[in-house]
Amino acid sequence: MDLRPAEVTSILEQEIASYGGASKMQSVGTVLSVGDGVARVYGLDDCMMNELLEFPGGVRGVALNLEEDNVGCVLLGDASKVREGDTVKSTGRIISVPTGPALLGRVVNALGDPLDGKGPLGAGADDLRPIEQPAPSVVERQPVTEPLQTGIKAIDAMIPIGRGQRELIIGDRQTGKSALLIDTILSQKTTGGGDPTNKDQVICIYVAMGQKQSTVVDIVRRLEEQGAMSYSIVVSASAMDEASMQYLAAYAGCAMGERFRDEGRHVVIMYDDLYKQALAYRQVMLLLRRPPGREAFPGDVFNLHSRLLERAAKLADNAPEINSRFAAGGGSLTALPVVETQEGDVAAYIPTNVISITDGQIFLEANLFNSGVRPAVNAGISVSRVGGAAQIPPMKKNAGSLRLDLAQFRELQAFAQFGSDLDSATQAKLTRGERLVEILKQGQYVPVPVAEQVMIIYAGTSGGLDDLPASRVAEFEQAFIEYVNERHPEVAEAIAGAAKDIPDETKAVLDQAITTVKAGMLAG
Amino acid sequence: MIVDPVSTRYAGALFGLAQRTGVLDAVGRDVEQLGLQMASPGVRDFLCGSQASLAERRAGLDKLSADYHALTKNLLSLLLDKRREAVLVGLPDAFAQRRLQEQGAVEGEVAAARPLDAADLDALAASLGKLLGKQVLLKSRLAPDLLAGVQVTVDNRMLDTSVRGRLEGLRRKLLDAPLPASGA
Repeated sequence: MDLRPAEVTSILEQEIASYGGASKMQSVGTVLSVGDGVARVYGLDDCMMNELLEFPGGVRGVALNLEEDNVGCVLLGDASKVREGDTVKSTGRIISVPTGPALLGRVVNALGDPLDGKGPLGAGADDLRPIEQPAPSVVERQPVTEPLQTGIKAIDAMIPIGRGQRELIIGDRQTGKSALLIDTILSQKTTGGGDPTNKDQVICIYVAMGQKQSTVVDIVRRLEEQGAMSYSIVVSASAMDEASMQYLAAYAGCAMGERFRDEGRHVVIMYDDLYKQALAYRQVMLLLRRPPGREAFPGDVFNLHSRLLERAAKLADNAPEINSRFAAGGGSLTALPVVETQEGDVAAYIPTNVISITDGQIFLEANLFNSGVRPAVNAGISVSRVGGAAQIPPMKKNAGSLRLDLAQFRELQAFAQFGSDLDSATQAKLTRGERLVEILKQGQYVPVPVAEQVMIIYAGTSGGLDDLPASRVAEFEQAFIEYVNERHPEVAEAIAGAAKDIPDETKAVLDQAITTVKAGMLAG
Repeated sequence: MIVDPVSTRYAGALFGLAQRTGVLDAVGRDVEQLGLQMASPGVRDFLCGSQASLAERRAGLDKLSADYHALTKNLLSLLLDKRREAVLVGLPDAFAQRRLQEQGAVEGEVAAARPLDAADLDALAASLGKLLGKQVLLKSRLAPDLLAGVQVTVDNRMLDTSVRGRLEGLRRKLLDAPLPASGA
């Protein structure tokens, strides 16, 4: 890090010029007790909720409990430097983080301090935003209409996510929850070529709370390798950090995303994961002696998540006219919270809370994952309550029959296990289902553009693959997409621009391609 | 002065009663005396600890308050009955604060790098009094580590004009200064 003498000189100049000026009366208090990362402070008469406090030795704290004769606060830093009897000063500032383009490509902690060793952020005092902000009101929003393409066939086809939606990703450990998020980030590169200054580029914010540091390092490295860090911000509060940092990281990340949303940009923020965040919050609140409720979580653990997720929104086009805090209208903040379940128990306290807050959920199942269906999305119980309006028309048309075919397949599959004598109609449904399941399988880190998704789903639902062995579907898919993109590059455009279903002439091209590629495979 | 809310309530009750019956000075002296006695760890541990039985503690308290006014004695017995021995420690401070409040005054402390003379202290108290709208009673304390200037603490508010405070402020500003990103 290079220190610039000119900057230091200008600060000194200001200091000298204002030296003789009147000092302000500051509110102070005395530390009554300190331990486990929380302190109780006597005094601090006009302390505000969430105000930053200054302890001796440069340690900072946040006031969370304002009581009759003392203030309970969490320490954000080395608590061993704070002693009983120390003088605490109030700062008059609500806890804030730097926001804006300077953060893109960076890894920061819950206070916005860089963690990646790439030097200072270069964000100014104007870029500071309080981490707790009210969510946009009813009139400042508009319905979700644009798709957020995750690049994952199973999701974009059956559980579509719209920009401004909140879609929960839920599943046991090791079911591919984080992998799904990374694929989504990689897929956003297609929106603006990975250029963060491009207005169409979707900004991605990944908030890691209570994760292993090695996991965070892996994710950052993967994003860098694939050129996805240029439009991403990683907020990390790993398992090693103080519980207070872990629970504040979600709000800090949200404040960073809101800055872009309010400037008319599109943002997707991923909270990985809210269960660990609730655990961190529980720890802090129990130490502050707030009364415990169910599973020892404090009473406001629902509000902890609802006020966070409520900040995801699709802003109205005329939002700046209604409220001057918005610099531009039409921006969106999509939230993809993750909740880890224990032994598939989605009826536990935190999962049911977050399920009820969000606009749908994607269930990932350990059974599916282990039987090789990856991504392990359980299409039967996963839903998206608003995303349907956000699908491109040809996808909507084709995915409808996909959902139906798969539902029938699942029903018959259980039934077919009992007997071998099946009528031909049932046999046909089973054959179709097996191939559709194969189509929806997808490797990690290979997001599929939406037009290609429509092509292969059309091939499956039109029955073109029924005479191909299920084990060769993946092979077919690759050859088919290659063939179409090479011989008929106009197909992708025709699909993306279609106002309703795939145009008939394009369908003819696809049918012909299916036959040709299949013939080539069966011959060879 | 850290005063807990329970002591404040008991002190308020005692003060009001004493004021109405016109024995404020006598009760005030008693409470001051109590403060001096409670300052001894032996007395404090005996009365507030759990080693002595209630009867022993009551006898001890009676002996200690033999020449107190009847009102003060009543309060001490009440505290023991209600198991509020901790208030015995907090009461003198709480009572003193209540008396100051009645007079429209606040206590404060001045920490200075060099000894302050009476004129300086009076001038400081007068200007602070104008600022806060209350009479300010200042105690002075010598704190050479401030280097120069004074640090006044009144009523949970601090006015820091010391050189050390300013140096710390400068240090913080330098650390927080938005430096340009490297390579920019």
